[in-house]
Amino acid sequence: MQLMATTVIGRLVSEGETTPAQGLPILPNIGELIVGFIAFAILFVIVWKKVVPNLEKAFAERAAAIEGGIRNAEEAQAQAAAALEQYQAQLREARTEAAKIRDEAKEQGSAIIAEMREQAQAEANRITETAHKQIDAERRQAVVSLRGEVGRLSTDLASRIVGESLHDEVRQKGLVERFLAELESGAIRPEKVGTDSAGAGA
Amino acid sequence: MLGGNIAILGYGLSAIGPGIGIGLIFAAYINGAARQPEARGMLQSIAILGFVLAEALAIFGLVLAFVFKAA
Amino acid sequence: MSSDVLTALGALAASGSGDSYETPTPAEFWWPLWGGYDNPWAFTRPSLVLLLSVGLIAWWLVASTRKAAVVPSKGQWITEQVYGLVRNSIAKDVIGSHDFLKFVPLLFTMFTLILVNNLFGIIPPIQYPTMSRIGFPMALTLIVYVVYHVVGFRKHGFAGYLKSMIPGGLPKAVLPFIFVLEFITYYVTRPLSLCLRLFGNMFAGHLLLLLFITAGDYMLLHGSIGMKLVSVGSYAMAFVMTAFEILVEFLQAYIFTLLTATYIASSLADEH
Repeated sequence: MQLMATTVIGRLVSEGETTPAQGLPILPNIGELIVGFIAFAILFVIVWKKVVPNLEKAFAERAAAIEGGIRNAEEAQAQAAAALEQYQAQLREARTEAAKIRDEAKEQGSAIIAEMREQAQAEANRITETAHKQIDAERRQAVVSLRGEVGRLSTDLASRIVGESLHDEVRQKGLVERFLAELESGAIRPEKVGTDSAGAGA
Repeated sequence: MLGGNIAILGYGLSAIGPGIGIGLIFAAYINGAARQPEARGMLQSIAILGFVLAEALAIFGLVLAFVFKAA
Repeated sequence: MSSDVLTALGALAASGSGDSYETPTPAEFWWPLWGGYDNPWAFTRPSLVLLLSVGLIAWWLVASTRKAAVVPSKGQWITEQVYGLVRNSIAKDVIGSHDFLKFVPLLFTMFTLILVNNLFGIIPPIQYPTMSRIGFPMALTLIVYVVYHVVGFRKHGFAGYLKSMIPGGLPKAVLPFIFVLEFITYYVTRPLSLCLRLFGNMFAGHLLLLLFITAGDYMLLHGSIGMKLVSVGSYAMAFVMTAFEILVEFLQAYIFTLLTATYIASSLADEH
């Protein structure tokens, strides 16, 4: 160690006496050292003042552009998603609407059918009733005309028996009517008319 | 017939240690990279740093060999 | 010893026409252009190469980034790849995203300057790695040295910076010892290793290439038939080493920048 130190120092001291070619390769040539500083300084200033700012600007712009692009893409995606959501909502709405309409129509249809049926029933009832009424009326008319006929016949018969026309008297007194009413009410048994002629006179 | 300078022997000796050291460093690096390929980038700079520190010794040896040769 | 060098020089001066082969020596890195061979203040070839590289890098960087656009041109894309490496995987990862941007110009200048000058070591018309002259890496190292100490003193104050060198949670008994070790690390080992690593790699690599090529030349020109065949192997080795040099040159530029960032980061760190 001691030896090394002394030899190196010895060489350093004696550097001036030797030619530069013979000098130690690890000892700098002062001229080259200065040129090294100058070269570095020149390049450093250029890089510092021009190159790095330009590149940093380009980097920042690129980052901004990429970020902007990503933001745009995200926005577009969000919009697309929103539109899709909207469409789906509309579709869902339309579907429920359609289902509702279908249900309503079904309901309405059945209601109409029921109504129609009811109407038909009512009509039928009405017709039946009318027919009944008509029959009743006809029957009543028949009864009335029959009663008149029966009255006339019996009066004719009686007047033929009695010998004189009872028509006017009978009409005046409503005798036949009364008799028939009594007959209907059951006060006089029809058998008695046939079997007991005296009853008719009472 | 054998000529030369004893300083070169010194350099040869000084290169043994760094040689072994650099071998160990890169062996560890390869192991690490094989086990965890995703850590490769991080390991690489560490391995180069280690390689550089080990190599410095060999460079000192080389330089000192010239110092003594010239002296 | 000096006679050794002189004979080497003599052999060199005779441009390889000597009878015996002389291995390349460090003297071959001394290559003055103006001012004479023995003048220590001569303007040397590596100085010219360095200045040339500064002009080239500056021209390229300014031309490719003057109209820096969001969508990069081809030149801007290349510059951005290199810039992105320095900015993101060195500065940002090591120093931290809070205040790395301040140091990006320094790191980017270091990286480009060292990378281009290293690559000049194998680019044909130049073929001289500037950083194999220790003056240049030393200049860069001194800049880094000043920067990381100034950053540390500014951040922590004088006493605080010295204190921040010591890792926390140690028993009191070992503190002085650790302090001395850390002090040496901060003030001696770091700059020395930073400078010598770059210099040593470039110097040794270039010397190796010189050795293979001059040996190949010598064997081809002066050797017997067998030696001429061996020279093919020597040239092949030179080719392989050149390919290897590309890797080393890139790696050294990366490492120098990475270590610069690491030193700055450790000066900025709150706790050691």
